Amino acid sequence: MENKVLREQVEKLATQVNGEVEEILGELILKVKASYINETLKGAKSLANTPCDFLHDLCGLDAVDHLEVIYQLSSLRGPQRLRVKAIVDRENPVIDSVTGIWQGANFLEREAYDMFGISFKGHPNLKRIYMWDDFEGYPLRKDYVTEPIEVRNIVRTRIEGE
Amino acid sequence: MDVALEKQLREDETLMEKNILVTNIDKLLNWARGHSFWPVTLGLACCAIEMMATGGPRYDISRFGYEVFRASPRQADVMIVAGTCTRKMAPLLRRIYDQMPEPKWVIAMGSCANAGGPFVDSYSMLAGVDKVVPVDVYIPGCPPRPESLLYGLLQLQYKVSNPAKVRLMKHGK
Repeated sequence: MENKVLREQVEKLATQVNGEVEEILGELILKVKASYINETLKGAKSLANTPCDFLHDLCGLDAVDHLEVIYQLSSLRGPQRLRVKAIVDRENPVIDSVTGIWQGANFLEREAYDMFGISFKGHPNLKRIYMWDDFEGYPLRKDYVTEPIEVRNIVRTRIEGE
Repeated sequence: MDVALEKQLREDETLMEKNILVTNIDKLLNWARGHSFWPVTLGLACCAIEMMATGGPRYDISRFGYEVFRASPRQADVMIVAGTCTRKMAPLLRRIYDQMPEPKWVIAMGSCANAGGPFVDSYSMLAGVDKVVPVDVYIPGCPPRPESLLYGLLQLQYKVSNPAKVRLMKHGK
């Protein structure tokens, strides 16, 4: 029942933002292009009967030919759940930040930037969160090659008498 | 038996009856150091749980005089590196080691601290803390049981109280 109401509304939203709706294992998925993301999420937040107004999680994904940013939405006032996937260009991964809609997206977007190199336009403090500042590369991308162990180790020579 | 040694032993016995022990200052210091380690709490990952269990009443690390876990490296003399040390953590680990007063020892507890463990091929992992600090005792296990940690501490105690014997075992001279 709930799902049917939600699905109708999401389909209406999808026509506004040129998105596709699919359902996998009872989970509604709305796929949009990166340029529509702010509109989509604002729309999802203010759906009439089933507002998806809580950002559960935000993460990056490497789908080899393109990158994706995945937003898991839910609500504190109902059982509705919605997954929004934004398709980002691999060569030039830029997407609008959603920190204007949910403050909590701040650290999650920094994580996606750290691991996948997706830069979020309008983010207040976009820098690495897990890796150290002079780390090179984005480790969770499929084409990231881990350095050999000799290079990765900080080799320290033992002082005589230690 | 050597006559001189026998005479010495007899003299010692008469002193012992008066509650006096004769030794030299190095032996006394080594004995005291080996029997009262003050470990710095450096729990980095799941091995820390086993370290806490060792401190608890069941395994009771205070039987050996090691129960004074210090939160400050300035007051500690043995560093138990319990858990996964990442490359980001490595400079901090070195810094904590540098802040400890001499004499100081390091115990690497668990596979991760020994050699990187199951995460050794990861982009963020340091393959063993011996790349950063000099390690005295390696304790294998993932994580090692509290008995293992106690055995490792006893090995360190042996090393600290008998420096000459350990040198002989290591270098044969």
